[in-house]
Amino acid sequence: MMWSWIPSNAALIRQLTLESAYLGIVPALLGLVISVPLGIACARWKWFYPPVLSAASILYALPSLALFIVLIPYTGITDTTVIIPLTLFSLCVLVPNVVDGMRSVPEPVRQAATAMGFGALRRLVQVELPIAVPIVIAGLRVAVVSSISLASVGQLIGVSSLGYLFTDGFQRDFPTEIVVGGVLVIALALVCDLLLVLATRLLTPWRPRRSRRAARDLAIGQPAAVLSGGAG
Amino acid sequence: MITFEGVTKRYPGGTVAVDHLDLTVPAGQTMVLVGPSGCGKTTTLRMINRMIEPSGGRILLDGQDIHQSNPSELRRGIGYVIQQGGLFPNRTIEDNIGTVPLLIGWKKSRARARARELMKLVGLDEQLARRYPYQLSGGQQQRVGVARALAADPPVLLMDEPFSAVDPIVRATLQDELIKLQADLHKTIVLVTHDVEEAIKVGDQVAIFRPHGQIAQVDSPERLLAAPADSYVENFLGFDRGIRRLSFLAASGLNLDDRTVVGEDTAAPVAAQTARDTGEDWALVVNAGHQPRGWASASDLDALPAGSAAGQARLEPYGHTFSVHSDSLRAALDATVLSPAGRAVGVDDNGEVVGTTTYERLRVAIHAAEEAEQRAAVDLAPEAAEP
Repeated sequence: MMWSWIPSNAALIRQLTLESAYLGIVPALLGLVISVPLGIACARWKWFYPPVLSAASILYALPSLALFIVLIPYTGITDTTVIIPLTLFSLCVLVPNVVDGMRSVPEPVRQAATAMGFGALRRLVQVELPIAVPIVIAGLRVAVVSSISLASVGQLIGVSSLGYLFTDGFQRDFPTEIVVGGVLVIALALVCDLLLVLATRLLTPWRPRRSRRAARDLAIGQPAAVLSGGAG
Repeated sequence: MITFEGVTKRYPGGTVAVDHLDLTVPAGQTMVLVGPSGCGKTTTLRMINRMIEPSGGRILLDGQDIHQSNPSELRRGIGYVIQQGGLFPNRTIEDNIGTVPLLIGWKKSRARARARELMKLVGLDEQLARRYPYQLSGGQQQRVGVARALAADPPVLLMDEPFSAVDPIVRATLQDELIKLQADLHKTIVLVTHDVEEAIKVGDQVAIFRPHGQIAQVDSPERLLAAPADSYVENFLGFDRGIRRLSFLAASGLNLDDRTVVGEDTAAPVAAQTARDTGEDWALVVNAGHQPRGWASASDLDALPAGSAAGQARLEPYGHTFSVHSDSLRAALDATVLSPAGRAVGVDDNGEVVGTTTYERLRVAIHAAEEAEQRAAVDLAPEAAEP
């Protein structure tokens, strides 16, 4: 390790970290915007869910680098070329979580809402979605972490991120740069994850502590499965 | 008033849940629908607020066909209490209770004030207002459910197995409170249960359903126990309906025996003689305030040294007393069976002894009450036949 390299390249490191954060967070949020209506539809019409889930899984199985290359003729060497595939990948985690979230609304609660005179839209917005929030955010945590890690691959087609430290370090045979890149990717993922945990607590003061722990266990269990299941 | 006119619910596939149902729920009364699972009682309830649409016939709410109303608006005028509370986990207690007021456009502050009013009404501590449902016990949640249903003061209340998810002691308390609440509020209540005891306890009228959505009998609890329409109803009511019927007959009809009641200062031989004169082995010893102390046997009184008073004899406990003014013949019979002397002590509102029962006196009172009831039924019959 050459520690002095770090302060002398602080500006570069900061910029790359911000780029990685952008490339990680934006696809997860776009994925959320797509997944919420899609997941609601899947929960509402059961026949719709299997084909959507299959499509999302197939997308997730595609290699990220291949998708980047396919998109270059249309979107060029830009952030968009990285953001589109990562958004599509996030659906594989987010859609099932939105569906599970909607299904987590207890039937008596749904019936009570209907019986009290909630229309379908009002019931969705005021009762069902708020109850689905913890499970949806659990999915979002996985999506953000995996997007941050996959964003580095964009470096191979020249879209700048912390991945630069890997490629540059490799070419110059300079391990310090590679280690710093790895540590920062992990740190960035942990910070984003922590922020989402805090957001869950703020948004759901109504949950017993025990089930908070259960949701965390669920969320911890998922990224392991996703990351080992495919490199994207 | 809610009227079912030839209402049928047939599901695709041919299952008939409710079969040509005719039923009238009088305004301000509690109608309990009871029957085995799959008898259509819950379907019947849910057709009232259009959670389920009938396949035939019509349902009138105060003369208006509910099919012509907007479902959401209809439902806001009908309170609904569901099994296990069905509270919104993401809303505080006060906001759960204020749900319908907020839906119909009340300001938040007014809805919350109303919520606190209702919490008091159903016996919930106001400190629970800002809590979330998971922080409450099952019984408390069920009270919130009742408060929430009452929030916009709807004239009609539907209760779907409201007390089945709480333990028996809490259930009994909630039933008692519902009865008390209804005595003040006079809502038109339709309550579904599979528990015939609950039906008999809380219902003004009870409709007993057969499997596949037909009604076996609709009657007051007293009439059901006294005159079940057929063997199905009789079996459904259970084996001790003769005893349970006595719950509806007042103990005030008893002619109590006050001859064996002796003051504690009475000379022992006099007390022994009093007991023997009535053909009994026991005398009931009371204190100066005429409150019961216990039973003294004639032989124990005889064995006391000369000059003793009845109060010095060995006294057997008198067991449960019953109130002559407010208890039923069932309570009097129960106290009699449990008493070591084979007699129970009837007291007035001050706890002073009025007299004691004997089995013979109970028999006479039950017989008289039955005759009075039969006369009343005959008197009612021509009235009931009028259109």
